Amino acid sequence: MHTGTFIKKRQAIVETICYLYSILFLYTASSKLMGLSDFKLQLDRSEILGPFAEWIAWMVPLLEIVLAILLLTKVYRLVALYGSLILMTLFTSYIAWMLRFSDHIPCSCGGVISSMGWETHLVFNAFWVVLALIGIVLLENLKKINI
Amino acid sequence: MKTRFLKLVLPAFAILLAVGLAFATESNTVSQVAYYQTSSGVMEVTIGDDCEPNGDISCTYFGNQLYAEPSLSTPLGRNP
Repeated sequence: MHTGTFIKKRQAIVETICYLYSILFLYTASSKLMGLSDFKLQLDRSEILGPFAEWIAWMVPLLEIVLAILLLTKVYRLVALYGSLILMTLFTSYIAWMLRFSDHIPCSCGGVISSMGWETHLVFNAFWVVLALIGIVLLENLKKINI
Repeated sequence: MKTRFLKLVLPAFAILLAVGLAFATESNTVSQVAYYQTSSGVMEVTIGDDCEPNGDISCTYFGNQLYAEPSLSTPLGRNP
């Protein structure tokens, strides 16, 4: 049996996670778009992403903006959380792969985040992956309760 | 009424906060041209401003050491 307070607390946590993700995505997308030429340059220097630099330089910030907007709307929140989880997992895997196999890691992140060390960046991203997972689990549970 | 107001104001505030922060923390990275040796001669590439002449950690482009001039006399590197 779930009380009203229990449900409200869960809703508040999900809401907070979604807002935090929205702010993060809008912040990094804006930073990337403001320094688009430098962002392309950094991607160009990546051995894995270099051939797709032009395409990725536009797609990543646009995807972040779309996800940020969807996270702010209640209807598409769950889909957006899954999207955020996938995107953040891709970023984290890229950093982990580059840390393991590359002698030089080009920074293609946005704003002050680019001044983080790569190990710190990996922990930072892992934290966001966990946050998205918590949001998804709570929102799925809330959906079941409402049914 | 209060809930409807919050539903509009909170997302707007989040958007403004994020975009505002992005402008506030915008860094002025400067691009520069670097040079590297290949089998077909000296090639040039545009790089960021994190590589400096005689830095500690070598700046490379696809495994090739980058230099400040076409004469390949000053190697570029990053300082930790």
